[in-house]
Amino acid sequence: MGQVAMVMDLNKCIGCQTCTTACKSLWTDEPGQEYMLWNNVETKPGPGYPRYWEEGGGGYDANGDLNRDGLMTTKEDHGEEIPLNHDEVYFKGVEVQLQQERPMVKGSNWDEDTSSGDYPNNYHFYLPRMCNHCTKPSCLEACPVRAIYKREVDGVVLIDQDKCQGIRECNKACPYDKIYFNYVTGKSQKCIFCFPRLEEGVAPACARQCPGRLRFVGFLEDENGPIHELVYQWKVALPLHPEYGTEPNVFYVPPMLPPTFDDSGEFSDEPRVPTEYLRSLFGQEVDEALITLQFEMERKQEGKESRLMDILIAKEWKSLFNIPNVKIY
Amino acid sequence: MYKSAKTTRRKFLLGSASAIGLSLNYSKPAIANLSDTKPYRSWEDLARKKWTWDSITHSTHGTNCTGQCAFNVYVKNGVVWREEQQGEYGASSDAPDYGPRGCQKGLRHSKYMYGKQRILYPLKRVGERGQGKWERISWDQAMLEVADKFLDYNIEFGPESVTCGLGTQMVMKRASYASLLRFANISGVQMPEAFAGVGDLFTGAQITFGHVTLGNTMAEIYKSKCCLIWFCNPAVTRIPDAHFFWEAKYNGTEVISISPDFNASAMHASKWLNPKPGSDIALAMAMVHTILKDRSFDTEYIKEQSDLPFLVRADNLKYLRETDFDTPEARDNLFYLWDEATNALVEAPGTGTPTAPPGTPEHLIKLPSIELAGIDPAIEGEWTVETKEGPVRVTTVFELTKRRAAQHTPEMAQEITGIHADIIRQVARKFASAKPSMIYAGYRASKYLHGDLLQRALFLLLCITGNTGKEGGGLTITNLAKDDAVFPFALSNPAAAFRVATLSRWDYVHADMKELNRDAFGEELAEEMDKYFQESVDRGWFPDYSKVPWKMGMFSGTNAAAWRSSGKRWRETAFSKLETIVSFATDMGITSMYSDYVLPIAHHYERHDFHLEPRTPYMQVIDKAVEPLGESVDDWTAYKRLAEAISKKAIERDIQPIDDNVIGVPIKRDFKKFLDDYTKNGSIKSVKDVIQFLLDNSSGIQSVSYDELAEKGFLRNKGSETTVHSKESPYYSDIWESVHEKRGYKTLTHRQQFYIDHEWFFEFDEVLPRHIDALVNEGYPMKMIMGHARHGIHSMWRDDSFLLSLQRGEPDIYVNPKDAEKKGVVDGDLIQIFNKTGSFICQAHLTSGVGQNMLYMYHGWDPMMFKNRQNFGAVVQTAGLIKPTSLAGGYGQLGWKPFAYEPNHTFHDYTCDFEKYQGV
Ligand code: SF4
Ligand code: SF4
Ligand code: SF4
Repeated sequence: MGQVAMVMDLNKCIGCQTCTTACKSLWTDEPGQEYMLWNNVETKPGPGYPRYWEEGGGGYDANGDLNRDGLMTTKEDHGEEIPLNHDEVYFKGVEVQLQQERPMVKGSNWDEDTSSGDYPNNYHFYLPRMCNHCTKPSCLEACPVRAIYKREVDGVVLIDQDKCQGIRECNKACPYDKIYFNYVTGKSQKCIFCFPRLEEGVAPACARQCPGRLRFVGFLEDENGPIHELVYQWKVALPLHPEYGTEPNVFYVPPMLPPTFDDSGEFSDEPRVPTEYLRSLFGQEVDEALITLQFEMERKQEGKESRLMDILIAKEWKSLFNIPNVKIY
Repeated sequence: MYKSAKTTRRKFLLGSASAIGLSLNYSKPAIANLSDTKPYRSWEDLARKKWTWDSITHSTHGTNCTGQCAFNVYVKNGVVWREEQQGEYGASSDAPDYGPRGCQKGLRHSKYMYGKQRILYPLKRVGERGQGKWERISWDQAMLEVADKFLDYNIEFGPESVTCGLGTQMVMKRASYASLLRFANISGVQMPEAFAGVGDLFTGAQITFGHVTLGNTMAEIYKSKCCLIWFCNPAVTRIPDAHFFWEAKYNGTEVISISPDFNASAMHASKWLNPKPGSDIALAMAMVHTILKDRSFDTEYIKEQSDLPFLVRADNLKYLRETDFDTPEARDNLFYLWDEATNALVEAPGTGTPTAPPGTPEHLIKLPSIELAGIDPAIEGEWTVETKEGPVRVTTVFELTKRRAAQHTPEMAQEITGIHADIIRQVARKFASAKPSMIYAGYRASKYLHGDLLQRALFLLLCITGNTGKEGGGLTITNLAKDDAVFPFALSNPAAAFRVATLSRWDYVHADMKELNRDAFGEELAEEMDKYFQESVDRGWFPDYSKVPWKMGMFSGTNAAAWRSSGKRWRETAFSKLETIVSFATDMGITSMYSDYVLPIAHHYERHDFHLEPRTPYMQVIDKAVEPLGESVDDWTAYKRLAEAISKKAIERDIQPIDDNVIGVPIKRDFKKFLDDYTKNGSIKSVKDVIQFLLDNSSGIQSVSYDELAEKGFLRNKGSETTVHSKESPYYSDIWESVHEKRGYKTLTHRQQFYIDHEWFFEFDEVLPRHIDALVNEGYPMKMIMGHARHGIHSMWRDDSFLLSLQRGEPDIYVNPKDAEKKGVVDGDLIQIFNKTGSFICQAHLTSGVGQNMLYMYHGWDPMMFKNRQNFGAVVQTAGLIKPTSLAGGYGQLGWKPFAYEPNHTFHDYTCDFEKYQGV
């Protein structure tokens, strides 16, 4: 009947992890969930979270056949939250240095601000990621017990916690590695697009709590909403790795970084992020999207109107959320 | 299984109205209908149930993060479960609104407040200092023991032997701050200030405007047409507000990030300029030069608002003053202009007026009009005037400024900064033509030894382009709510005379920083600095802290031993002199660890208070969602308990009142009456009474009871219709009034003053701003840059296990991969960073976001998290660098004035090196 979707404007994302934290404290604060970040933010280019997820397989091949042989991620691939020796150092006086009880191997944001290329023409940006609530969810198709379903009312993809047997085929099949195994309950879990909130007209926690004001929420089909405009009319919001074939419903406005310098130290026309890299993330459409964004921004610089820029500016915070009965308080 | 998206999309592109209509029918009944036809999924109800709560309290985090974000704090089963931003604020003057301010630290607080670092009970040290061996004692015992010592020191050495340091957890919580000030005022203890104390004071603003609180709301950024983000990284340090920058960019503003490192703010800027660390004055002055040379300056503005048309004698380079003429009772603060309308010498309007007696409250200082009233001052030219010494050639400050700027051509600046001269010109031209243009400055601009020169260069740039005092223009650093209610509350008895000490000077004396200068920079510099230091005391420009020994240190909401430059050295030197150290804190940290008594303080969601931060046009409540953990109490109560213990002990020991004298005001301090004084004879019963007094007496805020404020969460301030803090707002608007109402500035010339003809400024060639290289240590090539952290506020939240999992689990430092390779270091290795005076160890994080010979580290990491409890402060050997001209006095706006003119604690003038750490 409808597909709820999200557009994230990467030109406004500051990598603050407020979205990550918002999700964490609402949904994954229970035993067995310590390592889970249904929403994470990673520095790109970079191995991301779980590390090297883009190399893990899953999704559909060019013929539309399900790829069941994706990698099964482990807790360690994600990195985890490790307690500190507060008591020993601060109150018992038996240890000297305050530190994690055991060293962290790698974590979900290990490569924060690890830039690519050479200074001063280096580049990196932040990529917030969550389950894409795909139109063709490979996780769903892979589940042998049909525990995964896509709600008709809003297209949210959910794992029925009563039905899930912990077989973890979904884990292998999701090319975005957005399925997590709860080691305490023995079930697979994932982002639920905050459906209980959505039902009450409240945007998902990651979006509503994002201080960057960059996560648009609404129905893809709603022609009056910003999502439809950004995805279909302006074509500046693109799915991540469309080649995985799952047809994601989370879209990204690609990043435009400041100009690079040429050998003499003057500004150069060479884009800071190699376009080839952006194409590898968002497909060929990214070229067109960047041109549109640049063109519209220049209109504003010339003092002209731009509907696109106005949408992205989102003067009114509430305008980001075009969901029925939207409630802000 | 599902419709091909292609068909779906085509359909929507064609605009199938019915499909859309259906999809939007997303109300309760639709869900109910759905469950009729689909299998009922009971697990969904569990998720729905998880998102429920028992109660909501409005509150925020009183950490001086400048956020004061409005939060709903959700309580479930008697504990704080989570928090979420309260909601829609509304907009100012056609700019984006403030929703939904917040950050990851704030969202983590519900978990952190229950963390193992919490101090739950009064503790008394039983082992060595720093050992972490404690005895749990009662509040009564703790307070009585502390009171006894407090009285001992007061009787033997006087109140000045005790300090009461307050930090970022205190300064913005209005009622807590007022309570502590009240305690300090009654007791007469020294309060080492933490404004210049942390290197945040814009002394250059005091020199130029006679006023340091410059700044409007964050929405003002949206009003600017060219915005230079300079000396800071707001995408990391101003998370709730960073969106205004990119929204402005989308709206056509040129947002230029100027920073040696490619950081999260540079990433989203229209342009990024990367000057070599510490070379910024050259860049600013080259921009000034370009604009002057282009003659694209704002002549009208310059003539009226600045001292640039003022006449200067060519022979001695001093301003031409009335005292240069044979006039009876000639005034040395009367200055002259050359009027082009009459081709004659004229008095500069507004100058020569009597200065307000010292101690006059800021808002009562009468300032003259600077309206030119028909005078057309020349800014260029040379003339001869007849003085009492005969004919003298005179010229204008503008002419001298041109000459000064000519020593900073873009080509010369390219040499110093590494930025191409053409880019410097291009940015200067954009800045001059944009109207309005602003500089969004960070406190890094005041942490260099020559930060004042840097700021003066920036103000000059803003002045010649006519930007200071315009909406969307000028320099934004900070503003502070007027203390019009705090001071009457805090300073009402026994007399209004509390002691504020300049922290850098306090440390210089009490932590032997001359020694450090000697070790770090050599005998010559140490002696030179010391000479001016002593002279400033001898000439009565600055107070002397060396007369009374430092016996007892109380620390409230400050982790003082965490952030000092010189690191462990400060801790060891200063603490070795202190007989008693008392810490009032929410969480453990290095300062509490080395204390003799540690008192538990209630955390953000466990107390009542309110906040006024200049970044938004709102006043924000801090409300109690749950009872304080353990035996923790709010600051008002903690100090009340101490006051009570002091009175009790004084009565028991029959201590007679002592005579004290604070800046000439004689005071009798009767410790027996301490509690009565503190509580106003029992009429102030709790912090809520303090809050209500402040709410009732602060100007610029809506009249409201605390309970109403708590009910609403936040309230819009008065005079906040635009993005500028107006006269009616709770903040200072001096510059605005000078520019728009032609009210004189609080400077000697009553103008934006760029020319300082003080003898010491001549000695150091700082009469006009100029580039001076930052200090380096020969043989140490690495420049370490520091800034506020993303995943913590100062040292707060740095040890949260979840936030650490979003980092590297331990302190890390950014290293350029090529530098690392040379030293055989790979990503994740421990490295030792060192220079002559110390070293520390932390993890190398390789990134080409920093250049070669550059290191970047977030500050605030508690020394407890490092090997040897030695953090970055170890190599920041600048604690003794006390800038001589910042000690100058006897001249208009110059001279000791806490929070306005005092030397900063500096943090950036040094270099270091690193190697792979060989130990384990
Ligand atoms: S909260 Fe918003 S700005 Fe921050 S990392 Fe998440 S998406 Fe980016
Ligand atoms: S992102 Fe992965 S888990 Fe989410 S719907 Fe798509 S395939 Fe399934
Ligand atoms: S810590 Fe500061 S910036 Fe972060 S949410 Fe709290 S008040 Fe806002």
